[in-house]
Amino acid sequence: MTHRTQIEDYNYSVFVGSEEFMAFRTLLPVGSSAADFEAKLLETGQRVQFSDYWKKGDVLIEFGSLT
Amino acid sequence: MARQFAPKGINFVFLYTREAHPGENYPAHRSFEQKLAHARAFKAEFNVERPILVDDLTGTAHKLYGSLPNMTYLISRGGRVLFRADWTDPPTIEYAINYVLNSRARRREGLRLAPFYAELVGYRWNEPVEFQKGLARAGQQAVDDFDRAMKQRLKQGPRPGRIELPE
Repeated sequence: MTHRTQIEDYNYSVFVGSEEFMAFRTLLPVGSSAADFEAKLLETGQRVQFSDYWKKGDVLIEFGSLT
Repeated sequence: MARQFAPKGINFVFLYTREAHPGENYPAHRSFEQKLAHARAFKAEFNVERPILVDDLTGTAHKLYGSLPNMTYLISRGGRVLFRADWTDPPTIEYAINYVLNSRARRREGLRLAPFYAELVGYRWNEPVEFQKGLARAGQQAVDDFDRAMKQRLKQGPRPGRIELPE
């Protein structure tokens, strides 16, 4: 799968309601180690590691978008 | 809530993902600059004070946590999952954080408490009018796509993994 295809596959153009609610149940259950990732901090444009936040304290992370 | 719990050591962050309901005004991301622009619009529209982390264009972080549109996780200092929900609901989050903080306080007082695995059914506030306003913000395409998906869902019946309980 090309990078362009990966982008278009993840960022679907039409909502069809295909969310995998059942798959969520077995991924990262309570008690397991959280997954680290890199992201861009909107306010500064800096690349940050998610683990930098949980090294400082507990973290409540919400996922979402404008739509 | 972020301000309420900050003195107790809870950091709140938001991860900006793909558009759940793309429309004419906020279409599916095709460049990272576009995703950043949508995240800035989100911050302004909802006056978000929490740090906003923007995921990469292929959703690497989002996929690691389940790819659902509105999830919440509470991660401990040190990186263990303490609570998670497939839908973000403030009263449920407040309940979970207070439970964790109270349990730690009781431990500090000398109670012998052992962690165990637990689950519960959450009850979230359902606001169809506000939800439709959100779809309209994205554009008429988002309204039409959601309507079409719901009609299809009615034909297909209950979806695996969605909680449906009688009153």
